[in-house]
Amino acid sequence: MDEFEREMRQAFERRPAPPGLKRKLMEKRRAKQPQFSFFTWQRLAASLVLTAILAGGFQWRNVQERRKEEAAREQVMTALRITNHALNHMNARLAARRRDEQD
Amino acid sequence: MAHDWQADFEQLVDQHQSMVFSLALRMTGDRGLAEEIAQDVFLELDRNLGRIENANHACFWLRRVAMNRSTDAIRRRRVRGIDLWVEMEDVHGAPTEDRATPLGARLEQLLATLSEPQRAALILRYQEDLTPEEIADTLEAPLATVKSHLQRGLKLLRAKAQSHLKEYVRGNKFAEGSLSDG
Repeated sequence: MDEFEREMRQAFERRPAPPGLKRKLMEKRRAKQPQFSFFTWQRLAASLVLTAILAGGFQWRNVQERRKEEAAREQVMTALRITNHALNHMNARLAARRRDEQD
Repeated sequence: MAHDWQADFEQLVDQHQSMVFSLALRMTGDRGLAEEIAQDVFLELDRNLGRIENANHACFWLRRVAMNRSTDAIRRRRVRGIDLWVEMEDVHGAPTEDRATPLGARLEQLLATLSEPQRAALILRYQEDLTPEEIADTLEAPLATVKSHLQRGLKLLRAKAQSHLKEYVRGNKFAEGSLSDG
C-alpha cells in the first residue's frame, strides 16, 4: 500500500451518524409494529361470529338431511311390510282354494 | 452453532449506524438522503431479523442493502433530473475541514467524478477495508469486474488528486508570495 492509498483510507473513515438517527428510527419502528386497536378486536369478533353462524347453519342442514333420510327409509319399510302382508294373505287364500278343489 | 446468536435490533443499530450512514453518504453525497437510506436499511433489517444468522452476517447484510438502497436512490433522483453530486461541494464537502491533509479533504469530493460502480468498489475497499472478493460478494458482481473498477477508479482518483495537489501547492505558493510581497 502506497502513501496515496493510506491517504484514501484516512479520508474514507466512517462518519458518525446524525445524533437523531437512532431515535427517529425507533419511532418509525414502533409506528410500524401492529397494534391491536378496538377496530382490530371488533373485526376479529365479527369474524368469529360469522364463522360460528356459518358452522351452525352447516350443522343444521346436515341434521335436517339426516331426518329426511330417516323418514324416507321408514316409509319404504312400511310399504314393504304392507306388501309382504298382502302377499301372505293372497298366498293363504290361493292355498285354501287349491285344497277345496282337490277335495 | 449459528442459532446461539440472538439478534438485538437496538444493539445492531448502535454498532452499525455509522457504517450504514457513511456508505449511503459517500454513495449519494446528500446527508438528508443518506439518513433516510440508513433508516430504511435498518427498518428492513428489523423485518428480516429472523434470517440473520450471526454478527458477521448482520454486518454483511447491512453493507449489501445499504449499497443497493443508495444505488436505487441515485437512480431515482437521476430519473427526476436531480444530480446529487452537483450539490456535493455544499452538502458533503463541508465537514471535511477536520481532515488531516488537504489531499484527504478533497478525496471525498473527487470521488464524485467517478462512475457509480467505481465509487462503490472504492468506498467498500477504503472505508470498510474489504478485499476484492468480499466487495464482489457484497455487490453481487464478478470478481474480475470489481478488480477492474478498483484499478480504474484508483488510477483516475490518483490522477485527479495529483492535479489537485499541484493546484493546491501553486495556490499556497501564490498566497505565500503575495503575503511576503505585502
